[in-house]
Amino acid sequence: MINTTILSWVTFIYFAAFVFYLFRMVLGREFWGKIATSTALIGLIAQSVALVIRWKTSYDLGMGHAPLSNFYESLIFFAWTIVFLYLLMEQRLKNRSIGVFVIPVAFLIMAYASIAPGISNRIDPLIPALQSNWLTSHVLTCFMGYAAFTVAFALGIMFFVKKMSAADKNKSPAFFRLLPAESMLDELMYQSATLGFVFLTMGIITGSVWAHYAWGSYWSWDPKETWSLITWLIYALMLHARNVRGWRGKRMALMTIFGFGCVLFTYLGVNLLPSLHSYMN
Amino acid sequence: MSKNKSGLWSFFSSVQLAIVLLSLIAFFALIGTIVPQREAAVELAGRISPGLFSFLQKMQLFDLYHSIWFFLLLGLLSVNLLICSLDRFPLAWRRFRSQAEPQKADAVKDLPAENTFQSALNIQKVADAAANLLKKRYHNVAQANEENSVFLSAQKGRFSFFGVYIVHLSILVLIAGAIIGSVFGTEGHINITEGETAGSFNLRSNNQSLPLPFSVRCDKFIVELYENGAPKNFQSDLTFIKDDKVVHSGKLRVNHPIEVEGFRFYQSSYGVSPEGKATLTLLRDGGRRDVINVAKGYAFDLPGKEGTFQVLRVEENLMKMGPAIKVSVRSNKGEVTFWVFQQLDKIKEANPGITEQIPMFNPSLFRPYTFTLLGLEEKYYTGLQVTRDPGTLVVGAAAVLLILGLLLMLFSYPRQVWVKIDRQQDKALISVGGRSHRNKAGLERELQHLLAEIKDRLENSK
Ligand code: HEM
Repeated sequence: MINTTILSWVTFIYFAAFVFYLFRMVLGREFWGKIATSTALIGLIAQSVALVIRWKTSYDLGMGHAPLSNFYESLIFFAWTIVFLYLLMEQRLKNRSIGVFVIPVAFLIMAYASIAPGISNRIDPLIPALQSNWLTSHVLTCFMGYAAFTVAFALGIMFFVKKMSAADKNKSPAFFRLLPAESMLDELMYQSATLGFVFLTMGIITGSVWAHYAWGSYWSWDPKETWSLITWLIYALMLHARNVRGWRGKRMALMTIFGFGCVLFTYLGVNLLPSLHSYMN
Repeated sequence: MSKNKSGLWSFFSSVQLAIVLLSLIAFFALIGTIVPQREAAVELAGRISPGLFSFLQKMQLFDLYHSIWFFLLLGLLSVNLLICSLDRFPLAWRRFRSQAEPQKADAVKDLPAENTFQSALNIQKVADAAANLLKKRYHNVAQANEENSVFLSAQKGRFSFFGVYIVHLSILVLIAGAIIGSVFGTEGHINITEGETAGSFNLRSNNQSLPLPFSVRCDKFIVELYENGAPKNFQSDLTFIKDDKVVHSGKLRVNHPIEVEGFRFYQSSYGVSPEGKATLTLLRDGGRRDVINVAKGYAFDLPGKEGTFQVLRVEENLMKMGPAIKVSVRSNKGEVTFWVFQQLDKIKEANPGITEQIPMFNPSLFRPYTFTLLGLEEKYYTGLQVTRDPGTLVVGAAAVLLILGLLLMLFSYPRQVWVKIDRQQDKALISVGGRSHRNKAGLERELQHLLAEIKDRLENSK
């Protein structure tokens, strides 16, 4: 199918964007940064086109649903939101050095979607319980949240890289000088985590509304639900630790990494546990 | 905050406690995804010693999310939230009420160079332009004129002080709704075969039957399949009857529940009912032919009173040979049992002589009759989930509050801004400063923006 062909090209485009961001950081020339941004933007546009085609194809096949219904589609959308959010952030902050940490995550997710065994990229019909607009809003908001947490995680990693480079100042190549200051990374981590928290809240709520209609109760302590609650509590804890207890810097960076671990487990690990939600079976 | 608050009050108003409680709740939730819960725990019983199992059961480890421990944590969190909010609310209220004072020299002291600029216009003109701009963008604009300077103050986003309180209130409402649901709610399941009526359902917690205050009849069940055989849509026509009167009737579709007297019915599953009907013909040697409808368990006398005939089983597809029923005929010669296939001709074609080799497959085993199966009438049952949760509305309200509070916090923040214009010989020096308890970075960007706009206006008015 044409959409999956485009999507595998997008995987390479993101990889190229990552390489250009890396060039910029190593060579310290903004020229490469501009190329990197354009490449990422082209990737995002191509990916959007592929998603729209996929959407339309599903209507042509008589199934008619948004491309958010199986594991493959969720991975693709996850990567899309990460790049979208990142480019928005780059535009607002006028700072390109975050890209070298964020874009590879999007690339890895795309690559995983296309090469991991057992992931079907077919457009499948929806079983009746999944035929709901609440499902679309649920997946949309959840992945917006996950993407924001992913950006926060990348910033957390950057924080440690920056901290390490600050330890031996005398030999700091362009790469480390171009990283934003620790205080700025801290502020950005906090903002991304807050954005993620708000989206995850909406994701959990829309999911509950859907569950209320589809299987009778708004909350049934299914492992996926429970893990999304755990993730939510961890980020709530993080916001309180920062705003009221004054946690900054290293502790916040650790929390973004820990929180991202919870996100990954909610998304992937839960499939090891029996669940209503599992895309896998 | 006053100093003479009791130890208990300061314990419950502390955010450290909140952090501990949030971690504990997350930890408990995690344990519940590892230790099998409710129905799943039964399987564990076979694998560990009975003493340990009953101990763990007494500790409510197998129904963690409804255990006394979990309620205790939620209760503590509620008290924590309540006391903490009460403790801090007076401060938020004071901040909400506080106006940006016009004369606040320290607000525009020690400003970085990028927060000031010079204009060749006279001070009064500059002040008017800045005041106009502030009036457009901010609230509560105030002005104080001094001999050699003008102070302007304004503020914005005051209501977002309440965002956090609305979020915290919503958590309290949410916990209340969840507890109402878990104390007063019920959850269960019924299967109703097409055409039949049910007056009770099976509880999920202990599988006991609980009567409904009305009865439910399934008039018709329809399932639509995709080409690959997966279900595309299924629905039941239901009629709800109370005291011989129809109180409600309608189609129940997946994702479109029906609510009757506080009970919500969801279309959750379906299956082929084991109580399907079969149509048989009985051909008696000598010509008499009868067509009868039978179902599993039906028994009646044969037309010529040679014996009693009974249907033992009805199979949709016996050993991949199509529909079949197992019947027995009891007479004074004893009992014979045999299968009657619908597609006997085809079976015989594929396996010549089968009815001789396997007498059980011979529909003429009881002389003088030959049985033929004309067809099965497939009968579905519809699987309905039944719940009653009086807390749902409360939880819904909490969700709305939660989103509202978060949006209030996300899209706005309280800030006060000051513009000071000083006379410097025949020029004016303009300084822009501000204050915000949240989002200092955002405020800094906004101040730069404000400054650029003032500059812009002054240049255009030349
Ligand atoms: C699940 C429960 C809770 C949720 C979802 C929650 C949510 C929030 C959020 C989103 C914020 C704003 C953080 C920010 O500005 O970025 C906040 C602030 C705060 N929370 Fe909570 N909270 C919860 C429980 C608690 C509890 C139990 C306490 C009790 C001490 C508490 C005390 C506070 C305080 C003191 C603030 C700072 C308020 C301010 O900035 O004036 N929270 N909370």
